[in-house]
Amino acid sequence: MIEKKQQIINKLGLHARAAAKLSHLANMFSSDIYLIYDEDKVNAKSLLGILTLAASVGSEITLQATGEDEKEAIEAIGGLFDRKFDEES
Amino acid sequence: MPREVKGMPFIQIRELKQLKIVRTYNEKWAGNLVSHPRPQRPGLGLTGYLKHIQAGRIQIFGKTEAGYLHNLKEGDRGRCLKNYFSLNVPGVVVSENLEVAADWIAVAARYNTPILVSELHTAPLISRLSAYLYQYFARKIKMNGVLMDIMGQGVLITGASGIGKSETALELVNKGYQLIADDVAEFYLDSNDDLVGRANEVIKNLMEVRGLGIININDIFGSSAVLEEKTLDLVINLEKWDPKKKYDRLGEDNLYFKILGLEVPMIALPVGPGRNLSTIIEVAVRNFLAKKSGRKTYLEAKKENPSPEAAGGSEVK
Repeated sequence: MIEKKQQIINKLGLHARAAAKLSHLANMFSSDIYLIYDEDKVNAKSLLGILTLAASVGSEITLQATGEDEKEAIEAIGGLFDRKFDEES
Repeated sequence: MPREVKGMPFIQIRELKQLKIVRTYNEKWAGNLVSHPRPQRPGLGLTGYLKHIQAGRIQIFGKTEAGYLHNLKEGDRGRCLKNYFSLNVPGVVVSENLEVAADWIAVAARYNTPILVSELHTAPLISRLSAYLYQYFARKIKMNGVLMDIMGQGVLITGASGIGKSETALELVNKGYQLIADDVAEFYLDSNDDLVGRANEVIKNLMEVRGLGIININDIFGSSAVLEEKTLDLVINLEKWDPKKKYDRLGEDNLYFKILGLEVPMIALPVGPGRNLSTIIEVAVRNFLAKKSGRKTYLEAKKENPSPEAAGGSEVK
């Protein structure tokens, strides 16, 4: 299992479109992937689950992955956070 | 991930419409923390017996308390109020829109105690308030799965991502059963030790179906297709069909799923081609209901009433 802390830096936070991109990406990996925010832990492959976090800009999320491709998964998802979900230039 | 809540700002109860709060005094301290789920009536506490008055509990003043204070001589009343309010209770709620005398307010203010006045009678005030506080202070947990009401039973359908939970749930909604929460259900232990599940406000009534996106079940199927909350009775876990695994062939497995220290009956359902999951789940719930009402399983019935062959020979040749 590996974990990585990730800051939300896009203005809108984990809104619907960003959450959709995130769950779409997470579904490409076979590992179990979770997002942890405060006391909440949700499955990164579940779009509605991500939405329940209602995480806004500036919040810190812990990514957690367990499985064969855990390293690649964390790298790819972390990259999506860093690229502000490809929605701002 | 059980979560315990340390305290709730007293002011939060003013927002509850069902409590019918009409006035607030000493609002400055409305942020005091309530740390106990049961409200308390001071009763004899006002006479000086303060041993059981607990800081952290919301205090309720009804006609008895108000009448007692009113009948005291002025000096006695001041002493009594001072003794009581010096315990620093988080806040007082007065029922029946009773008048709050100026000296109460002054003494309460000296000890940083806010006072709310409700229009309700004392009994409904206490029951509504405790129901709310119990839910607030309850241990809570989020579970991955779809929570539905199927024939009056709260059923949580769990399973790995992409196995078809939402699609199965959609079929069940289409058959007339109710959705409580898709994908993530939040459970809390209520005052009867029942596990009650509901949807997070953000995703209430919503369902995600791949290919259709997020749909609102309330808009599409109407309000009879959704429910606010439901007590959990049964967990059905969908799993990929594994030819090596032994599945229950005789209906004798008694599996349990542990949530917040409670054991909930569970059925493991293998998903494979040609299996109509919504019908299997429907029948699983019917079977669960039959067992609950005391019907015997096939094996139990067989044991009590063995067939002639099994008993060692039949009479008719």
